[in-house]
Amino acid sequence: MALLSSILALRRDARILKLPPYLSALCILVGVVWLLVLPLNEYSRNTYVSENALLPGQVHTYFTGSEHNIFRAYRHEVAALVDKPVQERSQKLGDIFRSSSLKVATQIYEYHASGRNISNQNVYAILQGPRADATEAIVLIAAWTNMAGEINHSGVALVLTLARYFKRWSLWSKDIIFLISGDSTSGPQAWVDAYHDSHSPASIEPLSIKSGALQGAVAVDYPAGPWGHRYDKLHVVYDGVNGQLPNLDLFNTAVSIASGQMGIGCTLQRMWKHDDSYQERLQTMLRGMISQGLGHASGPHSSFIPYHIDAVTLQTVGDGWHDEMSLGRTVESLFRSLNNLLEHLHQSFFFYLLMQANRFVSIGTYLPSAMLIAVNFTITSIALWVQSGRSAPVPNPASISSKSPKPDMTVAKKDGAVTLVPTSSLTIIERRLFLPLAFVGGAHFIGLLPLYIFNNTRQTLLPTAFNSTAIFTILLPLLTAFALSLFHRPTPQETTLIQCLSLLLLGMFLSALATLNFSLSFLIGIFASPLSFIRPIHPPQPNTPSTLTTTNRKAMSAVVSVLLAALNPVVVIRAATFYWGEDIVDVLVQAAEGWHVWGLWTQVVVWLVWWPAWFAGSVVVTAGLFS
Amino acid sequence: MSLTFRLLIPLLLASFAWGEHTSNWAVLVSTSRFWFNYRHLANVLSLYRTVKRLGIPDSQIILMLPDDMACNPRNAFPGTVYNNADRALDLYGDNIEVDYRGYEVTVENFIRLMTDRVSEDMPRSKRLLTDDRSNILVYMTGHGGNEFLKFQDAEEISAFDLADAFEQMWEKKRYHEILFMIDTCQANTMYSKFYSPNILATGSSEIDQSSYSHHADNDVGVAVIDRYTYYNLDFLETQVREPTSKLTMGDLFDSYDEEKIHSHPGVRYDLFPGGEAVARSRLVMDFFGNVQNVEVEGGISRNETAWQEELAAIERMINEARRSHNESLTARPQPAAEEAKIGETKQAIRKEGAMRVDGESGWSKQLVGATALLGCVGIWAAGSWLEKL
Repeated sequence: MALLSSILALRRDARILKLPPYLSALCILVGVVWLLVLPLNEYSRNTYVSENALLPGQVHTYFTGSEHNIFRAYRHEVAALVDKPVQERSQKLGDIFRSSSLKVATQIYEYHASGRNISNQNVYAILQGPRADATEAIVLIAAWTNMAGEINHSGVALVLTLARYFKRWSLWSKDIIFLISGDSTSGPQAWVDAYHDSHSPASIEPLSIKSGALQGAVAVDYPAGPWGHRYDKLHVVYDGVNGQLPNLDLFNTAVSIASGQMGIGCTLQRMWKHDDSYQERLQTMLRGMISQGLGHASGPHSSFIPYHIDAVTLQTVGDGWHDEMSLGRTVESLFRSLNNLLEHLHQSFFFYLLMQANRFVSIGTYLPSAMLIAVNFTITSIALWVQSGRSAPVPNPASISSKSPKPDMTVAKKDGAVTLVPTSSLTIIERRLFLPLAFVGGAHFIGLLPLYIFNNTRQTLLPTAFNSTAIFTILLPLLTAFALSLFHRPTPQETTLIQCLSLLLLGMFLSALATLNFSLSFLIGIFASPLSFIRPIHPPQPNTPSTLTTTNRKAMSAVVSVLLAALNPVVVIRAATFYWGEDIVDVLVQAAEGWHVWGLWTQVVVWLVWWPAWFAGSVVVTAGLFS
Repeated sequence: MSLTFRLLIPLLLASFAWGEHTSNWAVLVSTSRFWFNYRHLANVLSLYRTVKRLGIPDSQIILMLPDDMACNPRNAFPGTVYNNADRALDLYGDNIEVDYRGYEVTVENFIRLMTDRVSEDMPRSKRLLTDDRSNILVYMTGHGGNEFLKFQDAEEISAFDLADAFEQMWEKKRYHEILFMIDTCQANTMYSKFYSPNILATGSSEIDQSSYSHHADNDVGVAVIDRYTYYNLDFLETQVREPTSKLTMGDLFDSYDEEKIHSHPGVRYDLFPGGEAVARSRLVMDFFGNVQNVEVEGGISRNETAWQEELAAIERMINEARRSHNESLTARPQPAAEEAKIGETKQAIRKEGAMRVDGESGWSKQLVGATALLGCVGIWAAGSWLEKL
């Protein structure tokens, strides 16, 4: 009982409000350190194939010999089509499929984004498993152009050759669909949307022939020209749209077959050289996180993943001694493994961070990192809420000099005892919520504006739009604070509540997001973490001794405002593109394409979660300039 | 002397009869389905082929196959099942008789089969029609663990279920001797709970130990046989070449090489009458072969005199019975009649007694009833007399 009452008494202790900033800082620190220790052997694991049915690399592959001649012939056929119009190209590719006695169909698609017109044609062929029941299918993709815009000569030729080769096997338990998509991102998206009847029929043609439920997809990206090119490694690309990932078993199977059975080294996240040191593991993991956080399509496979179809792209990189036939045999073995599947891949992880081709951490190990960072906002928010409901601190009577005004006192009587208590500690403080709620709601609504502008501006106007948004968003907190000081000067309590509600929303959004897209949540959490530690700098209460002069106060507000302006999402995006040497317009064009074609959600998170939180924090600090 | 002799002969004969069996049965069970478990079906089909070769007819083999590997679309060689990458021998062939297939292979059906608790309309091919003179080979393979064996991803049989099923078989006199053989992970735990007599059990691996596949066929794309089964078959195919083979179970158990099997096979002798020595001396053919043409020829000459002695003994018994009957008819008819009379009188007395008891109870009841009536009348009379006063 005594313990309970002493704990309850602690609740009234003023010191308890001093604790949250340290707790928040500790959360952030632990969150970041947590991420940094993940690449160590103690916290990451070697990959393994969980699904018994896959049996990677347990079959002999026979894609050799005369198939090579056919491949070379097809590669010249493909090279001859490079400058031909789309219709003629599709016709010719269809004829090649038909000559292997496969059913062929085409699909025309057209998208509009950033004033651009993305239109092209997909060609696909279906190999019906001779003894299969046509309820399931797996997809082999070669985009006509790869992510870099190069013509995928050898990739397309390889798919044509493999189609002819697979047709002669009788052991397929699933149908195999060979897809030559018009490009690497929109084409597969149009095709997979239409396959599931979720396309917009106005601009995208429905599929005339279909097969069963798609169980997996493999894309080959091998842009070697008609005279071939021997490559060094396979770059396995696995990021899906919105940071969704394929089942780890598919990635492991691909790596296990390529490196174990075929002897081709595997690499990921553009880490061409990887000697398995801590630094390189960390770098790989961070690159993976940035790629996942951006949520963009990273290859023809990306569009399949939102439909819960596990998919990877095999990309040839470097100069080495592996030829097209070893890539073909890798695909053959991979398809034999996928053919063994009895049900959808489900045994292994869908949430993981890879730090090397055979080392990973799973969600249970890494999730606390992003969660701790999200929790830091919630802690601060709760502290601010408690603080907003407290009266101004009563000065310690012992330290009050005779000069300072006496605090108001009230006579309290209880159980026959009489005492004098400061009036302020007895009054009940009401929280005035209208302005804070209206402000935080309004801030989120303003976020819709850039979201709309960036997704619906023509490409030529995008630089102007970006620059004006940058200037506008930097100036907006200043203007808002000024306007507020003119029309309705917020009380210190209201300012505290604005920050409290804004951080509460941020904490909630980020912790929910951490379970969906860990990397995005983590990155935004890191960039927004200073928002936990800024405090409005109010003019001193009339009865408390001031430690700052008005000038100092305003100078401090100005400094913090400028520092915060550097964390403006627009500024961060600009700095990031500058750091990676990307053109901001390209990024914006891709983002707009993502919005209209792939169903990308990253912009929504940036403009409706991150930006409003930054805006509210900035206004709270900038208000100090006008108080 | 002659009496003890007469008693001993049938006893000796009976004990000889107990030592032998008159039929051989095999229950061969694979418990796993799916393509990647190809080897389990190949295991069972290999055993099936071996016991058939050694003489057990299809009518006495219960074959349980939960999946059809031969017709799986993934099979690069349709219609076949192989147990070796050389693909020299098609186990499926054109002459196999699967008794329980697909989803019929369940724990319930297995236990019903073993204990013969089946409905009347169950075809004979799906029943284990054994008696107390039948030797049974029970071979199981699949995915197992500590004291359980998985059936088809849906259920599992525990070591206790299996032990109880065997006990029920023993109580129902459904077997003479059983050889229980199991190839699965932690297989030896499966026979650890047996408590019924006359069971010789062997398994592929100890507790916490996995059983491994022997090798994979890279064209079929899966492992084709398990190690323990492979080396059992190796012995049976290379050593037990003829149904007249005199190799013993001890020879088979001694052939197990842990280096090759990659696990520790176990044998349980303690349930066998006579223990290890007797169990090891049992012929391999006692379980893997069919008995008819194995022991009968050797036994005839040995049993000739015993059979004649028995006939003579029966004749003496008949003569004795006839003599005593004649004696009773001629010499001593009187006592028998007296006895019959005594019996009759006793019966009559008993009957009378019963009747008297009935009569007494009847009269007393009527007396009580009459007394009660009279009493009522008296009370009524007294009452009315008192009223008048």
